[in-house]
Amino acid sequence: MSYHYNEGFENPDYYFSETLEIDRRGSSQNNPFSHQTPDDPSLRGSYGERSGREQNYPVAIPMGSMRPGSEYREDLPSRNPNGNFTDNLSFEPEPDLPYTPASTFHQLDYPYAHRISSGSEDSFVRRRNRRPPDEAFLTSSSVFGTDPVGSEEKDLIGSLANMSTSERIKAIQKMPGTMKKKREIRNKVLKEITEKSRHRGTQLSCCTQCLQDTAVSFRRFGNTISEHFHLLRVWHKTLKIIGAEFGTSVLSYFIFLKWLLNFNIFSFLINFSFIAIPQFLAAEPNNLSFTGLELLTGAGYFQQTVLYYGFYTNATISKIKNGPSYNMQLAYIFTVGVHFVICFLILSFSMANSFTRNFINPQAYSVNASKLLCTWDFNITNEKAVKLKQKNLSTQIKEHLTEVNREVVNFSVTQRIVRIGVHLLSWFASLGTAVAACAGVYFLSINNLELFVKGRNDDLESQAAMLVLPLVATLLNTFTPFFYSWLGRMERFQTPGQQIYVTIARNIILKISIVGILCYYWLNIVSASESQCWETLVGQDIYRLVLIDFIFCLLGSFFGEFLRRIIGTTVCVSLGQPEFDIGRNVLDLIYAQTLTWIGILFSPLLPGIQMIAFSIVFYVKKVSLMRNCQPPRKVWRTAQMTTSFMFLLFCPSFLGVLCVIGVTVWRLKPSEGCGPFRGLSSMYAAVSEWIHTLEHYTASEWVVWVYHNLISSELFFFILSSIVLIITYLYWQIIQGRKTMTKLLRKQIINAAKDKMFLLEKLRRLQRANRNPSAVRGQGQQRSSSPHHPSRQPAQQVPGYPGEAFDRDQNTSYTEYPYSAGISSGTDFPLDGEPAQPSSSGMSKAVALALRAREAAQWDDDDDDEGYFQP
Amino acid sequence: MGNKQTIFTDEQLDAYQDCTFFTRKEILRLHGRYHEMAPNVVPMDYTKDPDVKLPMQLIINMPELKENPFKERIVSSFSEDGEGSLSFNDFVDMFSVLSEMAPRELKAIYAFKIYDFNTDNFICKADLEQTLNKLTREELTAEEITLVCEKVIEEADMDGDGKLGFADFENMISKAPDFLSTFHIRI
Repeated sequence: MSYHYNEGFENPDYYFSETLEIDRRGSSQNNPFSHQTPDDPSLRGSYGERSGREQNYPVAIPMGSMRPGSEYREDLPSRNPNGNFTDNLSFEPEPDLPYTPASTFHQLDYPYAHRISSGSEDSFVRRRNRRPPDEAFLTSSSVFGTDPVGSEEKDLIGSLANMSTSERIKAIQKMPGTMKKKREIRNKVLKEITEKSRHRGTQLSCCTQCLQDTAVSFRRFGNTISEHFHLLRVWHKTLKIIGAEFGTSVLSYFIFLKWLLNFNIFSFLINFSFIAIPQFLAAEPNNLSFTGLELLTGAGYFQQTVLYYGFYTNATISKIKNGPSYNMQLAYIFTVGVHFVICFLILSFSMANSFTRNFINPQAYSVNASKLLCTWDFNITNEKAVKLKQKNLSTQIKEHLTEVNREVVNFSVTQRIVRIGVHLLSWFASLGTAVAACAGVYFLSINNLELFVKGRNDDLESQAAMLVLPLVATLLNTFTPFFYSWLGRMERFQTPGQQIYVTIARNIILKISIVGILCYYWLNIVSASESQCWETLVGQDIYRLVLIDFIFCLLGSFFGEFLRRIIGTTVCVSLGQPEFDIGRNVLDLIYAQTLTWIGILFSPLLPGIQMIAFSIVFYVKKVSLMRNCQPPRKVWRTAQMTTSFMFLLFCPSFLGVLCVIGVTVWRLKPSEGCGPFRGLSSMYAAVSEWIHTLEHYTASEWVVWVYHNLISSELFFFILSSIVLIITYLYWQIIQGRKTMTKLLRKQIINAAKDKMFLLEKLRRLQRANRNPSAVRGQGQQRSSSPHHPSRQPAQQVPGYPGEAFDRDQNTSYTEYPYSAGISSGTDFPLDGEPAQPSSSGMSKAVALALRAREAAQWDDDDDDEGYFQP
Repeated sequence: MGNKQTIFTDEQLDAYQDCTFFTRKEILRLHGRYHEMAPNVVPMDYTKDPDVKLPMQLIINMPELKENPFKERIVSSFSEDGEGSLSFNDFVDMFSVLSEMAPRELKAIYAFKIYDFNTDNFICKADLEQTLNKLTREELTAEEITLVCEKVIEEADMDGDGKLGFADFENMISKAPDFLSTFHIRI
């Protein structure tokens, strides 16, 4: 904002006008919204600035109420027993109010409720605030007789009573009052509801009573159920400890891990119950021997278990003759399909949620302000962590200040070319590494395939050979990131944020291209090989990759954190304890989850294995974190990073997996000798065949119709996508409109602030006039004699006032003094005429003054010609 | 279950549930925490809404608050009598606002209170200086502090009055997504 108008800050009246009268009026009374009565003496020592006032929060910024007359009524005192006060008007001439001392300022309910946006439950509060200003002003005169508080509260209770239960609870929960007040309101609302229902008909009262009782007991039952679910919220304490010692940023990794774990538990349960359990019933005996090494390779014994696609039967399972049967083909394809649809929905909803929460307005991120006021992590409760955090913060602020002082460095042309060259070179190097890694993986995998297809000897050598590919892939995944972060350091980015994002982008490219090349190998080469059951081969490959990745993750904790700590604390003390690398760890998780998703079709129980792996990782990482790491030094913009990780999980990872699954299901020919889809031209053929058989039954005609007209119809999808596109466009337009609106509102705020300043200035003059009539009279004469220099007037008026503030004002584009000139010349101020008037009329005078000033200001605004005021 | 009934009646628990973001179990846990701070003063039986208040000194020694640089401010922001002592209602209120479920708007109101050291309904320069001192353990020089505070006001002050009103504060908070996750105390 370009207006830095500091007058208010230095102006003592500003304080008087907004605060001092508050304490006078409220001191005797207990205001539920002001938790701050005169301080505890022990506190006053530490907060020297505090002046023992009662605090009234409602003054959120009453600029909105500066419209002529609006909300004035709230300032007028009324004697309401349980009243307290809210939206205090920001400029009341305190000495002029005869009724202030004893008055109890009534409140209107919840001062902030109108700020609580979203949700219908509070619209009523907003409605109240939108009352036309004139009407409000008119009522203000009659306020003395009536009891507006009661009606306001009644209104509120009435509207609360009209809401549905959950809405009402939400509305009450959001109220920023004390518990006592909230409970009072709640009880009143409940009473109102029962009264209403009684009014409706006494003969029904028994029935409604019964219904209400049932509702209450149903709710209690629901509560007990949800409590039991809360017991399932494991790791609550662990998360609390991590948050206490390492702050939100590290905590976000663990929350992400927990979320993925829940995801896998869900996938596992679905697959296990709908695919694996039926298969157990129809299982053939397993005649392969188990040596233990299979745990590592996933081959051998496991080939003949429910772990892999190849073991599942294509038959219809029925235990009782002519009883209900279970079609394994359909079960397999539908389970996997439904699973992916649910995953898609969960992911897109949580991603959208995260976006709306965290990417509200990323451009307008005010660095300094939020660094100071939003940065403190209330989670941290560990003494050491707190001290470290404070130290880090102070160094950061110092660094930031030096950066600012250094100004923006202007690079010369050659320097710029060098920089661009370095960036290009490092991008070239990183992409080159990714390509080389892919090529290596590809040739290795082709070599490996020959080995698998050629011979099935169970000797150690071939088993070891199986492990080469996953080992190489995981090694590449583990060590190339170090190279990338080294590159990032070499590049010397201007901001650390850039470095983080570029490094993450490179890592993602690497991981995704390795997974991509492996998918190509599986779908194009393995599936075309003369292997007996290519799906099982793919499943085994994925199993090994998942397992080795898991082992490397544990090793990474050991070497990367444990050994690093030993080195950092004993050998090379300058290194210090390591920090937990959130970015790298999260990317590892995303990679592991991608593998699991790809593997679901080929090895339905893979989520179960991943589930075990993730829970072990959780504990190992937690222990390693507690033992080895120190809290992160840099402020990590957790919310945005979490959102981007969620996005990464969705965009390359999940969508890529969907493509792979789609190709497998629609395009590839399942192997002839194994699996539920043996003998079909593609997996999807199972569905079309099923539809074909359904056509014979009249009862299921609608399924056939849906299939033909919706699922397999291009026209339907064409229409659907056009509608989606149109809606998207519509929303985009709405967003554009809102943006303009935001701009306008922002301007309005600035204008309102100007109004406020201006009115305050008037008020101050009036106060001074009342205090010192003769001086003002003199000034008034002076003013009328020198209308040509309106902008100098205030300084002349108040000789003792620091002139600096006014000088500064003149540099801004803010044009206050023309206004004042306009008023003094156009509307003949009362301050000259009745300077010594008894203070009882002060209030009405202030209101009249404000109104007149406002009119003048508007008039002036319309006219927009400063010269107009010059005689 | 029998144990539960002796602390609160069902109606009380319902009321608490309706007015806070907690489940019954959490309310009972909170009561446990409140009780253990002063077992002699706080009764186990809360069915008659006893008028018990714990002084600030006891509450700021909770492990959740002990190391928080703003602990006194947090407690006094939620204390109904303004002297920093909390009744059980205030206590529940406090953790309800600081819980994960509380909406941004509600959190913003209380965060504003917390940072408003001199309770003049504005976060002015003096408040910012105090905040900064608490955040950095007074390691910055006076000059640096002034510089930072000026910058903050410059950035966040929308209406140009040289201090941050609640609207300014809320506007700033809405642009700082981390606020929701950091203004949160797990109980």
